[in-house]
Amino acid sequence: MKARPEFEVLVDAHSAEIFAYVWRMLRETADAEDCLQETFLRAYRAYPRLNGQANYRAWLYKIATNTARTHLKRRARSTERLTDLDPELLHTDSPLTDELDRKQTLAAIAHAVETLPHQQRAALIMRNYQELSYPAIAVALDCTEAAARANVYQALKKLRAKMTEDG
Amino acid sequence: MTNHQQPTTSPRLNEALDLLYAVGPSESSTTRAQVKLREALAVAQARDVFYDLLPSSPIGAVLVAMNVRGVIAVGFGITERAFVAAVQRKTGAVVTRSPQKAAAALRQLREYLTGKRVAFDLPVDLSLQTNFQQQVLFAAREIPRGEIATYTDIARRIGRPKAARAVGQVLRQNPVPIVIPCHRVLAADGSLRGYLGGGTKTKAWLLKLEGARAG
Repeated sequence: MKARPEFEVLVDAHSAEIFAYVWRMLRETADAEDCLQETFLRAYRAYPRLNGQANYRAWLYKIATNTARTHLKRRARSTERLTDLDPELLHTDSPLTDELDRKQTLAAIAHAVETLPHQQRAALIMRNYQELSYPAIAVALDCTEAAARANVYQALKKLRAKMTEDG
Repeated sequence: MTNHQQPTTSPRLNEALDLLYAVGPSESSTTRAQVKLREALAVAQARDVFYDLLPSSPIGAVLVAMNVRGVIAVGFGITERAFVAAVQRKTGAVVTRSPQKAAAALRQLREYLTGKRVAFDLPVDLSLQTNFQQQVLFAAREIPRGEIATYTDIARRIGRPKAARAVGQVLRQNPVPIVIPCHRVLAADGSLRGYLGGGTKTKAWLLKLEGARAG
């Protein structure tokens, strides 16, 4: 049987990409730092009981996804939605129309993404921006590979509808 | 279940998503997050305890527990379950069996008990002990192999000549017996007195192994 790597090896190999993942999920640096620490502390505690044949990377994404969910719930309870459209942006004759356009699009997509179910948002980010395979996403979301694909599909479908209706 | 295709490409949606997600965190904020992560992990790791056991030795099963600072407990004449529970209770830490992390300590104990090693080269962590307990235990560690001291000797050595009885109490509760050789400390009349879980038989056996005169 293959020897299980020291936990520090996993930290070196995956902490940067897990940080990028939770940063994309939370869109706030201090929150992402906390979430990264919680993810790896949970992983550290669970590591001795983890099956030695496990996909360590996907397993870390699974813990990160759950930890990010807790952070997002906490945030939803404690604050108003962060990405409400700024009315200033919509009613101004700024000559910087490109920049304005960019800001409006960004606000609209950020808003649209927030309406997605957690699994769908996580699946979309893992697939399109973290370069995870569907089998790995299935491990991370604790679902079948088909369900992982369906989550990405549904996310894109909903976002497209949302952006069309808003734009 | 059918394989879903991605919905027909929507350049506008892809552009919008890229605006939101294509650029990840900066290198400097990633580095900062990793530094903080390592600090948080170091704090957790400093608390954690790992143990392993030698199923059989001349004095029966021997267990050893350690953290990053050193050995915190040695047990014999006790079941694995009772040992783990006691260590957990004393440290409040997660106690996990790890032949890897306890390997050096276990190897030295095995060598010592089979006569292949004369002294231990292991750090011990006595930070859960009081100042007085630490003084007594460190004084006991200084007694060379093959020699013995009395409780009064130890009391004198730590500058508390009247504390022989308290010294005896501390040594009876030595958390790391064998590694700290409390078995080399005898009553003033040379009798073995009580010795931890194993009783006076183990104490006599250890002294004989070391070639001490008394016993």
